[in-house]
Amino acid sequence: MTEGGRDLRLDFFRGLALFSIFVDHVPDNIVAQFTLQSVMFADAAEVFILISGYTAGMVYGRAMARQGFLIAALRVGHRAWQLYVAHVFLFAIFMATMAYTVDALNKSLYAEEFQAADFLSEPGVAVVKALTLQFQPAYMDILPLYIVLLAAFPFVLAGFRVRPRVVLAVSLALWLAVQLDPRIALPAYPGPDRLWYFNPFGWQALFFVGAWLGWSGTRGGVAWLHHRWLLRVAAGFALAVFVIRFSWTLHGLYSPIPALVSGKPLWPFLSKGDLGLLRFASVLAGALLVARFIPPRAGFLTGRVAWPFVLCGRHSLHIFCLGILLSVLGHLVLAEFFGGMVMQIAISAVGIAIMVAVAALMEWFTAAQAAARGRLPEQAPVAGGES
Amino acid sequence: MRAPAARRHWAIVLVAGVGLALAAAPGTAQEAACPVPEGFAAFETPLPKTAKALATGAEVVIVTLGGASSLGSAAGGAAFSWPARLDAALEARFPAARVEVVNLGLPRQTARAAADRLAREVLPLKPTLVIWETGTMEAVRGTGVDDFRDTVQGGIDDLQAAGIEVVLVNPQFSRDADVVIPFAPYLGALREIADANELPVFHRYGLMRYWAESGVLDLRAKDAEKRRKLAARLYDCLGRALADFLVRP
Repeated sequence: MTEGGRDLRLDFFRGLALFSIFVDHVPDNIVAQFTLQSVMFADAAEVFILISGYTAGMVYGRAMARQGFLIAALRVGHRAWQLYVAHVFLFAIFMATMAYTVDALNKSLYAEEFQAADFLSEPGVAVVKALTLQFQPAYMDILPLYIVLLAAFPFVLAGFRVRPRVVLAVSLALWLAVQLDPRIALPAYPGPDRLWYFNPFGWQALFFVGAWLGWSGTRGGVAWLHHRWLLRVAAGFALAVFVIRFSWTLHGLYSPIPALVSGKPLWPFLSKGDLGLLRFASVLAGALLVARFIPPRAGFLTGRVAWPFVLCGRHSLHIFCLGILLSVLGHLVLAEFFGGMVMQIAISAVGIAIMVAVAALMEWFTAAQAAARGRLPEQAPVAGGES
Repeated sequence: MRAPAARRHWAIVLVAGVGLALAAAPGTAQEAACPVPEGFAAFETPLPKTAKALATGAEVVIVTLGGASSLGSAAGGAAFSWPARLDAALEARFPAARVEVVNLGLPRQTARAAADRLAREVLPLKPTLVIWETGTMEAVRGTGVDDFRDTVQGGIDDLQAAGIEVVLVNPQFSRDADVVIPFAPYLGALREIADANELPVFHRYGLMRYWAESGVLDLRAKDAEKRRKLAARLYDCLGRALADFLVRP
């Protein structure tokens, strides 16, 4: 894929999701009140998984068409392996944080409850369970989801070639089954009733719908997505969601502002773990509007304001891991110095600046290497596309 | 909330007369009430039944459900726990009322475990008010937030059906815990439940954060004896703040 043909919307919104994930993971951060989750029922996780599915469908769909199924499947496998390595890296960060705080926590007023955390009594088991993706402590829940979705992806890709609609129907039926039956889930460590935070049987639908859209995009697109009524429904829904969700955000910041629509009757449809109906619909409606109203290379996407987003979105895996590391460090700084809202905004800004700087460095490095080898950065492993 | 003027004068005299070293000596720390930030709980739903029963001198049974932090063991025993300090604060304020605080806390009590005890152990006590401290074990164990919310909602339904007022108390703040134990989703769920059921949350997490941030409490006291005193002071402050919280107009 050449630079000129790249769909910058994917990079931009993935970058936005990455900043969101970093900011949301710094505890007690006022800036987290103003990320994706405050204006839609979905949050960065949905955006990230949808775009990842779309990109996977596009990139590997094209690979399958040009190089055959086996090559495409091996490329998917290679990508899943990279994610697995990143997961292990995040686990190392978690262990380091734990080593740093365990003494303080054991001597805190939390000691009694904190010591109930099973990984303290059997750290050896916890390590093995982390390697088998079953132990998903703080920050370590989305990569395991992404890994199993990619692992299943070659089969879906093969299915797309034969019966794309059947594959899609099966995927949506499985999602529906998860909504109706809470027993459809993956057990996690420590048991007995702990489950994967993101239920892969629910979330697969978002990833594979994205993959189907990306795959279809390489073959002329999906005609009925351009119907006017669909756009109207999506716009109306997104607007209603925005008004309701933003009223909740404002209510949370200042109680006398009323929350429009009580959340209680919506709870069953807002499950994050199972990807509830409203979260699913919210992210799809948002994606449809973006696809419709923002051209792939819209002016602002190539402009200076969008540049940091696009840059980070292009190196998403590395920047994601960096973001997690930075949110841990950001928390340590906040816990040490407090400093209120100014400090929270400063930490968010510095963190994002570091993410952008590293992404810029990677971009430059990739380009320099490609230039030295005398070709475009197309095949360089870190150059986005597959991230 | 302010310390009574007499006590403040006493403290000032002590500081002036005996010097800073003695003022920081054992015993004095527990006396001063902890300041509560401006507007704390200003928008929380009031508890008319409880406030009325206290004011009219009726018999008031208050049941507290919680984990280790409601038992006072870190401070040296049940007498130092926040439910006991709440009892003392209410009795001091309403000498005519017959207040009884029944502490049903258990170490590591989950929301599910507490909810399962309601029918058999709480309802027969015919409480006016149930103070339910929850969310800590769920955050430590990583229980699904949806499950947690459903469990607490179920418990509230049972209590409200019996005409009992409910206050939710959220987890303790810790300067170190957040990075390894994500509390935010559970704090958020408790807020949502409270809003949906029009009942108040005693924002212990926010209050403790305020005390830590303003230097009122050193939550990082390392030395065992200092930590015991910190716990005693904290539970006393929480009990008093909770007493103020219950009888807001």
